[in-house]
Amino acid sequence: MAKRNDALLAAALLLAALLLWGAARLRPGSAAALDVTVTVDGGEAARLPLAEDARLEIVNARGGVNVLVVEGGAARVVGADCPNQVCVRSRPISQEGELIVCLPHGVVIAIERHEGGR
Amino acid sequence: MRRGMACLGLALCLLLAGCAREARPQRRQAVWLDVFDTVTVLTAYTATEEEFARLSEEVHGELLACHRLFDIYNEYEGLNNLHTVNGSAGIAPVRTDARVLDMLEEARAMHDATGGRVNVAMGAVLALWHEARAVAGEDPEHARPPEAAALAEAAAHTDISGVLLDRGAGTVFLADPAMRLDVGAIGKGWAVRSVCERLRGEGVTGVCLSAGGNIATIGARGDGSPWRVAVENPFGGDYAAVLAIGDLAAVTSGSYERFFTVDGVRYHHIIDPETLYPSDRWVSVTVLAEDSALADALSTALFNMDGAEALALAEGMEGVEALLIRPDGTSVETAGFAAFRQGG
Repeated sequence: MAKRNDALLAAALLLAALLLWGAARLRPGSAAALDVTVTVDGGEAARLPLAEDARLEIVNARGGVNVLVVEGGAARVVGADCPNQVCVRSRPISQEGELIVCLPHGVVIAIERHEGGR
Repeated sequence: MRRGMACLGLALCLLLAGCAREARPQRRQAVWLDVFDTVTVLTAYTATEEEFARLSEEVHGELLACHRLFDIYNEYEGLNNLHTVNGSAGIAPVRTDARVLDMLEEARAMHDATGGRVNVAMGAVLALWHEARAVAGEDPEHARPPEAAALAEAAAHTDISGVLLDRGAGTVFLADPAMRLDVGAIGKGWAVRSVCERLRGEGVTGVCLSAGGNIATIGARGDGSPWRVAVENPFGGDYAAVLAIGDLAAVTSGSYERFFTVDGVRYHHIIDPETLYPSDRWVSVTVLAEDSALADALSTALFNMDGAEALALAEGMEGVEALLIRPDGTSVETAGFAAFRQGG
């Protein structure tokens, strides 16, 4: 009898621990819970995990180029051939809701929660 | 046996607590690039995705309606807008939407209140600058500012008293054939106010709408905390200010994003009615006010005034605060502005 209770207790504690670990991992705001989304001319062109380093060259229908780098849990535009360079001068983004926009190219880079996780 | 069940119960409660989070309003966001030639962001706390989709569609719909009415570059089937009005200058009055007349009436009031420092009848002058900026974008080698003589000639056709509004007939008439309207200084703020009035009327709350630097909020964020509005630093680096503005509107006009360069000289988009050239006293002006149309027009007007005049005007207006940043990085602000700054 005692051994079965102990096994149940251990299983419950393990389950609780797993749930807490999972909740912390997916806690809103942590890079693990967030994506970088790229929208070009109104359509979603890419969705990358914020927690993984990456480099992406975005080219719109008119050949305009923006270069996106995801590094250390933040996304930024390192180069572009737009006339005003507002996107390149924008600060890196890492929090849900933050945006970098290249208006001349119709490009919106955003930080969003993982899809389907709700 | 009971202890085991209690622990399983605890684990189950933890799991359910995680699920219960989903019923709270969640922060959602929509971004549009198709209105007012700028970036528009709607942020709202809604319980469901469907609710946000409905809200989003309503907001975008009203913004788009205002955008089309105030558009001076395009015609839209079945619609008389400002492009139509400009095209009928010197010919005949144009019957148009009540929103156009309302907006123009307020624009005229703002012109009078600011000694003419914001003037929607300045379209002929602004058109020369728009064209120069467009040429500079497409063909940088041949970028040039407009000719001084052309600017002077255009300036002879900017008397706002020549904008004739007939409320009874619902018409707008520009008697001078060379006069043109350009409502860039007030259109966004007016549209944002129009949207917010509508939403408030429907009891909507938990909304922040930003149309190219024109920000208005309704209520608070999902957790009850106030919306935090950042004023960009024209020189890069830390924000110039982070504000908690309650239900006020915050409008920033800046010279550091929309410009073209010729021989190392930068020409931005806020044109001083007196000099006919881009204003050089400030790089950024932020106005707080309950009315986002007033804040929008005022931010342009203050841009065209020196510090003493700007502060005197802003201090003299009830419920209005302002922050003005100079090209050298120094700034002035109204006495009540600091109260809206968040610590850090």
